Amino acid sequence: MSELLKINNIETYIGQYHILQGVTLEVKKGEVTVLLGRNGAGKTTTLRTIMGLNPASKGSIVFKGEEIQSLPTYTIAQKGIGYVPEDQGIFAGLTVEENMKVAIQKENEETHKRLDYILNLFPDLKKFWKKPGGLLSGGQKQMLSIARAYVNDNQLLLIDEPSKGLAPIVVEKVMESILQMKDQTTIVLVEQNFMMASTIGDCFYIIDDGRTVSTGPMKQLKEDEEMKRKYLGIA
Amino acid sequence: MELLFNLTLNGLATGMLIFLLAAGLTLIFGLMDVLNFAHGGLFAWGAYSGIWIYTTTGSFLFGIIGAILTGFLLGIITEKWIIKPVYGNHVQQILITLGLMLVLSEMLKVIWGPNQLTANPPEYLRGSWEIGDMIIIKYRVFIIVVGLLVFAGVQFLLKNTKIGLVVRAGVMNKEMVQALGINIKKVFMFVFMIGSGMAALGGVLFGPYSGVIHAGMGMEFAILAFIVVVIGGMGNFTGSVMAAILVGLSGSFMAYFVPELSLAVNMLLMAVVLIVKPQGLFGGKG
Amino acid sequence: MAERGEGMKWIVNNRMNAIYLIIAAFLLLLPFVYESRNMLILLTQIFVFAILAMSYDLLLGFTGIVSFGHAMFFGIGAYSIGIFMKRFEPTMLHFIYAVLATILITAIVSFIVGLLTLRLKSHFYAMLTMALAGLFLVLAEKWRTLTFGNDGFTFRVPEIFIDRTNFYIICLVTMIAVFMILKRFTNSPLGRVLQAIRENEQRTESLGYQVLHYKIAASVVSGVLAGIAGIFYAMSLRYVNTSVFTMDITLDALLMTIIGGVGTLVGAIIGAGLIEFAHDGLTELAKEHWIFERWIIFFGIIYILVVIFFPLGIVGTLRKFTWKRRKLESAKKKENLAG
Repeated sequence: MSELLKINNIETYIGQYHILQGVTLEVKKGEVTVLLGRNGAGKTTTLRTIMGLNPASKGSIVFKGEEIQSLPTYTIAQKGIGYVPEDQGIFAGLTVEENMKVAIQKENEETHKRLDYILNLFPDLKKFWKKPGGLLSGGQKQMLSIARAYVNDNQLLLIDEPSKGLAPIVVEKVMESILQMKDQTTIVLVEQNFMMASTIGDCFYIIDDGRTVSTGPMKQLKEDEEMKRKYLGIA
Repeated sequence: MELLFNLTLNGLATGMLIFLLAAGLTLIFGLMDVLNFAHGGLFAWGAYSGIWIYTTTGSFLFGIIGAILTGFLLGIITEKWIIKPVYGNHVQQILITLGLMLVLSEMLKVIWGPNQLTANPPEYLRGSWEIGDMIIIKYRVFIIVVGLLVFAGVQFLLKNTKIGLVVRAGVMNKEMVQALGINIKKVFMFVFMIGSGMAALGGVLFGPYSGVIHAGMGMEFAILAFIVVVIGGMGNFTGSVMAAILVGLSGSFMAYFVPELSLAVNMLLMAVVLIVKPQGLFGGKG
Repeated sequence: MAERGEGMKWIVNNRMNAIYLIIAAFLLLLPFVYESRNMLILLTQIFVFAILAMSYDLLLGFTGIVSFGHAMFFGIGAYSIGIFMKRFEPTMLHFIYAVLATILITAIVSFIVGLLTLRLKSHFYAMLTMALAGLFLVLAEKWRTLTFGNDGFTFRVPEIFIDRTNFYIICLVTMIAVFMILKRFTNSPLGRVLQAIRENEQRTESLGYQVLHYKIAASVVSGVLAGIAGIFYAMSLRYVNTSVFTMDITLDALLMTIIGGVGTLVGAIIGAGLIEFAHDGLTELAKEHWIFERWIIFFGIIYILVVIFFPLGIVGTLRKFTWKRRKLESAKKKENLAG
């Protein structure tokens, strides 16, 4: 079985708004799956629904062969899903070190190894180890958020728009690091920046009006001009 | 000089008592978004149960321990059966905690009678020290020391333990804490318990300080604690201790010089903070 | 024939209004057929508290604002009338002055409180009103030259209010007037905005409404009406003391509104009746067993249970029930038609 995560026709309400009206995804182990689509299409809500932050009212989410759609958020996280939200969710008043400490679920040999690995990937975090998270730059916050999600032995990372609001040079850095982490873990990435999405993505899903409307390998999308124009507004 | 010193000491002692009440209030608010209007009731329960144990056993220490345990117990019960059913609904929460306050105060009258009880400091904390022509009342110093110890203890807990970190993180971003695999509901319970314990401790310390306790004291102190929570910034623990000292001192000085205005000054302070800096005088959250 | 048909139609279409009308007529005639001084006083008390509870419902039920200092407005009214009647001759003119003073002071205070806290989270309004009411209580205790401190003072009232039956009818009419005014108010465009605020403040704001202005308006109307309730309360006792500023008054208003049903106005009246009657009965029972002296504990427990399990209160729960039934019936009808 190569699917790590299988989402079957989920629907999600936020308040009285019917945001997701049938999203279906299959995420293969070891791949980077990119969710594309216009603003407000439901990409962020899809990630939040996987995490149980906006629970689905219909459909199923199967992770490692187990249904998780009705579990509380913290249990879903413990099952091995790391989450990097759109706003990074940094604890601004806590230092980088404390942010990492909150994230580490079990302190053991393995997490120390992972911590070392991720700090080598993002040396800035080591530099600002004792600084409050709120004082970091946008890119550093992004790195800290990714590091927090990575440090536990998570088999799946959900990353929401890591390039948002970052300078192009920083975007490249973040992109490189995600590429490096690729062979360690599976990633679901929401990304508006098509350059970045097409560089690191293995396959894509397009979400429109709360539904998955198209899927395929990334290569296919790169050549499909019409699809790009229709759903992504790229001429 | 002697007068100023005594007023300061008095203000600090009162401030510490308010702090014990306000600290729990602010932490619970910051973490759970619950403004517990029954918190004053826990203060009064701490006073009654503690003083009762103290007078029956003759040991003030037992009284203090008993009060704290009462606080813990009531905190757990409150969180589990009163607050939990209405999480996320502000209006319902405010209403229900006020109802609890009502029941808690009336229960005191049912158990211990409607009249006020008297309380005196134990032998070893009675009287005063004289340094030169300065008279220092022992019990006031005792309250200040206990208050500072509790402050230091909670501060240590928040800074240096995992659960403390989680509490601070939760104040800033509850959702993210859960997304990192932490069951925040358990942390809620813990904070509620600690906060209630502190309030109860404040209550039992207040008994011998004022000499009498009555069922209405919870409400009176709760109002001061609310003022402190607003001035210090809701959810800000260190802010609450500073604001409590400020309110205690201003109360003590005003009560001496212009007693009519003592509550008014604190109210005015709160109004000014609400207009100018609703997030509190002492910086952001943290 | 045709006229009678029209009349029937009106009654069918306005079933609730017809019921209200019958009850109002019954209450109006009651003192002339049933001569019980105690009952008269109790009912008068209920009308007064119903005004207070309705003013509270405007805030809590229709706007979603929680006030813990409603006693403050009530007390301002009570002291205004007391002071005017005591200091000057108890004439109609001075009564009108007292009403005007009450309206002015309560409007100013509620405006300021609203301005300070209504842009913030709902906790702040609850807290500030609670603290301010505490301040007024202290003021009433300490400003002895004006208020005679804790003991309070008795005063005489204008002639028209002396007769118990007269006073009963005046209170009843005032209550009905307040009910109708508030009904109008809550059904007006302004009232609908208030309800929209209660349901979803952000969305209302994003629709372009100045939410703060509407909330302050509700706060002011509510404060003024509570002040008027205070006037009648003090006049019914012909005595005022600091207890009008205590938390107990606020709690009474709160209990009445919650138990009767928030956001219904009638609920506030029913709640006032229920609590005053129960209070009266329990005070009698207190002679039998001391536990009934602590009657408030029963209300506290009932109140907590209502908030958890029946947040809609008596009227709200009943309405929900009948709505469900009606829905079911109309669904059945449709089915029958289809079948």
